Amino acid sequence: MYKLNFNFLNKYGGMLLEGMWTTLALVVCCLAIGFVLGTVMALFKQSKVKPLRWFAAVWVDVLRNTPFLVQIFFFYYGLPVLGINTDPLATAIIALGINTSAPNCEIIRAGLMAVKKDYYECAAALGYTRFQTLWYFVLPISLRVAFKSLVNNFVNLVLTSSVCFSITVVETMGAAKIIVGRVSRPFEVYLLILVCYCIFTYIVSFAAKLIDKKIRIKL
Amino acid sequence: MSFYDYAYLTSNDAMQFVKATGVTLYITLMSLFFGTVLGVLLGLVRCSKNRVVRTLPLLVIEPLRNSPLVTQLFLIYYGLPMVSRIMLDPYPAAILALSLNTAAFMGVLVHNSVSAVPDGQWEAGLALGHSRVSTFCHVIARQALRLLVPQAITLYISQLQCSSLVALISIMDLTKLGQNLALRTLRPFLVYGIVFLIYYVISSPLAALARRLEKKLAFHY
Repeated sequence: MYKLNFNFLNKYGGMLLEGMWTTLALVVCCLAIGFVLGTVMALFKQSKVKPLRWFAAVWVDVLRNTPFLVQIFFFYYGLPVLGINTDPLATAIIALGINTSAPNCEIIRAGLMAVKKDYYECAAALGYTRFQTLWYFVLPISLRVAFKSLVNNFVNLVLTSSVCFSITVVETMGAAKIIVGRVSRPFEVYLLILVCYCIFTYIVSFAAKLIDKKIRIKL
Repeated sequence: MSFYDYAYLTSNDAMQFVKATGVTLYITLMSLFFGTVLGVLLGLVRCSKNRVVRTLPLLVIEPLRNSPLVTQLFLIYYGLPMVSRIMLDPYPAAILALSLNTAAFMGVLVHNSVSAVPDGQWEAGLALGHSRVSTFCHVIARQALRLLVPQAITLYISQLQCSSLVALISIMDLTKLGQNLALRTLRPFLVYGIVFLIYYVISSPLAALARRLEKKLAFHY
């Protein structure tokens, strides 16, 4: 019978924690990029200008229908050809941020659709400009509607971020791989990582549920 | 053969692309098949009346849904041989990991779409003298299927993208081939462009189908 042995934590626990810290930083940066890009794309999709609409449609379509692994390779190995030197972490942040903007766009667009015509008319009657309408009326409402799905997408983002180890970013999975190489206990290390990811995503989902209860509105 | 010959894609590489596409499709289809069967089973058990039985599938579903597929894949491929006699080749390991992952998501979809059918439909079936099983088969299942099918197709598309991760355990699928060719020809834009195109051509029609079915099958009670 095989005995599980977690002694490697004494020596490499710090490395693992550092990896988790990197994952967290990575994910938060990507969240910001993905959120802003996603909102912009969702607004493009609603725009009256046709080329903008097309651009957003192609953007989302291509990102959703191609694997993230290929996208990250594309950025990591492709950009140096254009003369841009790539740092693994920076590339990972850019690629993951862009990747996550596509589902974000769809979610925020669904939120925008939830805002009925009356609200626009109401804002117009109060003398708000187009931008003010967007900023004070439409976005707050639609983001509240979209909140739950946005968090789901964030969980997805956290899970996807583990792929970044393939371009030598030492995040949680990358650290795990290095540790496995040194102590050759793949089962324990990967199991530990798996549990850590589970705990983290559970905490996020739980917090989201509490927040969602507070900010939910009936339209 | 001079150095520059290596820098271009040849007709042999075209054949390689076809083969690699086959590998990707093979792994995806196999894992989708097993995943769907297992997922539907898990989903149906989730719909059981007994509270204990109902929560059992969660033990499988939740860890699989809340952890990265790469970790699951590595756990099966590198970890399993350490703790047991089970030593899987890359292909079975990839298919096993992807199937389990698909099953977890599928189970949730099945459960959600069955519970989205209003209680009135259950009551109507039971009132007409059907048993629970009979009600489920004749009344509930087909209504649940309307909701399930578009969502399942969307899941299939995302699993197709996820199948690219098998490149990390040295299976020569589309992604791995792209990586190799990009390194050999030093033309990442061209090679990854082709890889993107192939994935896109496979999954974009499915996405369109899912959108269309979603509109067509939508039903408001």
